[in-house]
Amino acid sequence: MALLEVKNLVKSYGDRNVLDGVSFELEEGEAKVVMGPSGCGKSTLLRCLNRLHEPTSGAILFDGEDVTDPGVDVRALRSRIGFVFQNFALYRHMSVLDNVALALRRLKKLPRREAEERALQELERMEMAEKRDAYPAALSGGQSQRVAIARALAMDPRVLFFDEPTSALDPIMVREVVTLINRLYLDNVTILCVTHDLNLARHISDRVVFLDRGKVYAEDRIEHLLARDADPVIDEFFGGED
Amino acid sequence: MTFVEILLTLLKGAGYTLLITFSCAATALVVGLGIAMARELGGAWLSALLSAVVYVLRGVPMLVLLFIVFFGLPGIGLDVPPLPAMMLSLGLISGAYLSEVFRGAFAEVSPNEVLAAQSMGFTRFETLRVIKLPQMIRFAVPGIVNELTTVLKFSPFAYTVGLPEITKQAMALVATTMRGIEIYAAIGLLYFGIYRLLLAAVQLIEKRYSIPGFAQE
Repeated sequence: MALLEVKNLVKSYGDRNVLDGVSFELEEGEAKVVMGPSGCGKSTLLRCLNRLHEPTSGAILFDGEDVTDPGVDVRALRSRIGFVFQNFALYRHMSVLDNVALALRRLKKLPRREAEERALQELERMEMAEKRDAYPAALSGGQSQRVAIARALAMDPRVLFFDEPTSALDPIMVREVVTLINRLYLDNVTILCVTHDLNLARHISDRVVFLDRGKVYAEDRIEHLLARDADPVIDEFFGGED
Repeated sequence: MTFVEILLTLLKGAGYTLLITFSCAATALVVGLGIAMARELGGAWLSALLSAVVYVLRGVPMLVLLFIVFFGLPGIGLDVPPLPAMMLSLGLISGAYLSEVFRGAFAEVSPNEVLAAQSMGFTRFETLRVIKLPQMIRFAVPGIVNELTTVLKFSPFAYTVGLPEITKQAMALVATTMRGIEIYAAIGLLYFGIYRLLLAAVQLIEKRYSIPGFAQE
């Protein structure tokens, strides 16, 4: 059974379907990338999956449980999904350590000391332990992204969502973050990543879900997608890269 | 009567001025925070209702509201003592202004951070308390200082309901000594001194809770 199974997911704003019957699966330990032109519904998809946005119809089975069910414990669902945002979204008024330990203390109800130890482990894994007392304003983009990933991993999520993790970074930092996510991929962390970045997609994914105008246009391995001949939608998006 | 003696007499009134200022400022902070937080958490109806209340309070002259509370309410059997009457007029009006300061400061908190907290499983209330509130207060410091200064400067209206604060003391002194210029200049100095004290206290608190790189861009 897949860890995550999305069936015929629809999200409408007024009479506009941002997601128009999206279906795909994500296996445990798999890394899947969602790509597609701007406005195709990629970020909305991620936000529907953890109910930050309410889907209009369709089913989302997470560990076999339909999380679109109104009675589902949204808080428990979200604590099982790590979410790393495009702009890092670190809490500016908290130190690096507090950023990572906050949810452990407040949501998992760990005592401060235990939460901080656990947070420090994740910071060490991300090679950010020495910055534990720094505030987000003092970090580079790449460092901020590492802390954001440590914060998401600290909760021991079943899956890690990335929303355009490299789009706010310069090329050097992009390399750094690609290497980092690739390491998680090799560590068998289950990953669902929305990105425009072909390089990232190449390094971290088994398969790509290609969205176009709210529908799954194609789902395939990245090299197979790139090798498609005379596919105007794919060609336009990748700009002739191969 | 020497200038020093005049100052010492006026200092007796300073205690009342401080009491009025702190009581009204505390009322304003509670009311302002309450309104701003309710608008953050409540739905459209509550927000519309509170914005109407704020709109009215900001438009009413302070002295008129004070007279309604102190001289008007006894007409329907509600006797309000002078200090609570100040809190219900100056405190409420100031609270309405502060709620707008807080609303603006809430808007400065990054929506991404709010989204990140909610995606972790924090409820709206927890997100407000743990993420938005601590940042909002830091953004709001300049506006809070402005409003506290206004409260101090409106405190002389308390003499109209019989509180013997600095201005009341000064008027009594002028009536007996006829030395208006010196006495009113002296209370000007006293108000300035109290203002400097308030400012120093706020700056001390601000320094204690300052965060490197925060709210400085």
